[in-house]
Amino acid sequence: MRKQNGVGWLFASPYLLYAILFFAIPLVWSFYLSTTDWNLISPEYNFKGITNYIDVFRSPGVQAALLVTFKFMAVFVPLVIVMSMIVAAIVHGLPKFKGIFLIGFFLPYLASGVVSSFIVKGLLSYNSPLNTTLRGKFGMDIDWLGSPFAALCVVAVIIAWKFTGYYALILTSGFESINAEIYEAAAIDGANAWQRFFKITLPLLYPAIYTVIILSIGVTFGIFTEVYQLTGGGPDYATNTWQMEIFTQAFKNLQAGYASAIAIVASVVTFLSIFVIRKLLEMWGKRNGWV
Amino acid sequence: MKKKLNKAVSLVVAATVSVSVLAGCSKGDKKDSDKNGVTTIEFWAAPNPPQQAYWKEMAKEFEKENPKVNINVSAIKESPSSEASIQSAIAGKSAPTMSENINRGFAAQLAESKALVPLNEIEGWEDILTNRNMTETVEPWEFSDGNQYVLPIYSNPMLFGWRLDILKELGINEAPKTYSEMLEATKRLKAKYPDKFLWAKPDLADPTAWKRWFDFFMLYDAASEGNNFIEGNKLVADDKAGLQVLTFMDDLRKENAYLLKTVTDPFETGVGIFTDIGPWTLTYWEEKFPKMVYGETFTLAPPPVPDNMNTENVRTFADTKGLVIYASATDQQKHAAMKFISWVYANPEHDLKWLEQTNLPPARDDLAENEAFTTFFSENPALQPYANAVPFGIPSIDNPKYNELQTFIGQHAVNPIVKGKNTPKNGWNDMKKAIEGGL
Repeated sequence: MRKQNGVGWLFASPYLLYAILFFAIPLVWSFYLSTTDWNLISPEYNFKGITNYIDVFRSPGVQAALLVTFKFMAVFVPLVIVMSMIVAAIVHGLPKFKGIFLIGFFLPYLASGVVSSFIVKGLLSYNSPLNTTLRGKFGMDIDWLGSPFAALCVVAVIIAWKFTGYYALILTSGFESINAEIYEAAAIDGANAWQRFFKITLPLLYPAIYTVIILSIGVTFGIFTEVYQLTGGGPDYATNTWQMEIFTQAFKNLQAGYASAIAIVASVVTFLSIFVIRKLLEMWGKRNGWV
Repeated sequence: MKKKLNKAVSLVVAATVSVSVLAGCSKGDKKDSDKNGVTTIEFWAAPNPPQQAYWKEMAKEFEKENPKVNINVSAIKESPSSEASIQSAIAGKSAPTMSENINRGFAAQLAESKALVPLNEIEGWEDILTNRNMTETVEPWEFSDGNQYVLPIYSNPMLFGWRLDILKELGINEAPKTYSEMLEATKRLKAKYPDKFLWAKPDLADPTAWKRWFDFFMLYDAASEGNNFIEGNKLVADDKAGLQVLTFMDDLRKENAYLLKTVTDPFETGVGIFTDIGPWTLTYWEEKFPKMVYGETFTLAPPPVPDNMNTENVRTFADTKGLVIYASATDQQKHAAMKFISWVYANPEHDLKWLEQTNLPPARDDLAENEAFTTFFSENPALQPYANAVPFGIPSIDNPKYNELQTFIGQHAVNPIVKGKNTPKNGWNDMKKAIEGGL
């Protein structure tokens, strides 16, 4: 037993070391920095106690980041779940080449956020064919990135497009794990398509859906590239995410200590949010007898 | 006992392997030079191909004459921004020996944090200024502590471009010079082409700090005749000029002059007829928009001024960037870097090569008179207005908080005014209050 423990430690040690070096030490270091006025490059800095944390809660940028994250969640999570569910259902129903189609849908996940943002910027430009048509034929002059709600939706749609293939992969494996005989038995019992979906597919797909929901909620706390490229957090903080605020304070305003405090608060909010949502999902599953 | 020993050995082996792998990523201690006495310096060039090619060529030629110095030229990473890459490198103790592409505001941030070497303290500084004929050009670059941290490479006074072809269709034969002339041009434009705009520029509604260099500061420097905006830690802005600028921006809004939506190549496609233009745009047009011909499709002009002002010798914002040496470099690297800079700028031909490759006016006192350059400008007439405007260029503010302070100009003044959400007077006062609080 002891020998086995030794081998276990041996194999686990690189990861443990990695975790200590790249997670534990930075976390402690970040917490320490959050109590200082370090500007990122100066060798000298002072201890400020909890002042940075007080400033964090007063900051309009941080307050916006908190709200924006939940707004993104409200738009992005249902959108990506529905889209990935549709993709997974279509791929699952294919007779052949499921893998190839899945890879196709997965590719946006690998695409650079910078490149996709540039493409979207071109598509939504005032003089793009889309907007010229909307103005000319329908009299619609939409300020896609200049109005708060539209800008938020544009970013949410891009990220949903990016993650759909990835989540579809998880849901497809969920679909594949459902035994076809259950559907056959239900069909014999006279269950229609809706009943089969709500009584068989949804309960048996619950573990995969649970994973996808938790992962997609995690994504909303880490949005940066698309916002940085497309809106810079605007208009009027309407797309100012946690990451955008941390970047602005650390690298533009050179307030690394303050940015660390924001990062710590963001981590706590992320952890608490995911914890609460996880519990709600578990309650939902238990109430329906899916877990 | 044997089991304990096995366990201990296993842990030590695993830890050693992991640490060795990680240690491979480290650069280790800096040495002044290698065993052959060769000093290696890292030079980060601006992340644009012509500038990178120029510095690579210079480094190669210099190394031929100076075999004891090895210069590695690479581009500053732009992800997420070149400033962030430099800051990360300094924080991670992997800063280069020297870099270019540094503006005054960023240099002030770096200097305040003691990340830069005062160049005037290194031997050879005065020789560079004399040999390059830049004693006057470098004067405004002096920092409040009396030191020079940046050697300006180019001084690029920003100008406004006008679509001359469209102006002529409106019955206007030359670029408007005053606010009234601009408002008149806007009225005529909207009457003839309701779908076109005077100024198609979403940046006007964006609070990002650097964007104010290319709208507010161009207009403010012109209206205030180059009056400083911030001196040290004091806001010294010219109230009258500032209010005139904001009122003018508000008047343009009332005439529906702005397009604030994202728009691709608005000036080139004629959606907008007025925009800020730097010499780099001309290089871009040569490749992508060959139909943009100076004197036919477009013309260049200094910023418009209030009606009662002289329209000659108008001041404008100068996009100026330069070279710095980082404090983390060893003494030998610092001296090798200075030797390299001295070599580059001792020969005007090198500046001419720079001008030919980048179109950016070298920061020299004799740019307008030196024959080497006048020939170039006569062959490149679109660049002549930039050379003429060099003496009227005002560099960016040198306050370390420039980013935060310039963001206030957008948030409180420019952005709400172009959107019609605040009055010029209130916008100006709100901005002043925010800046004074920030200072």
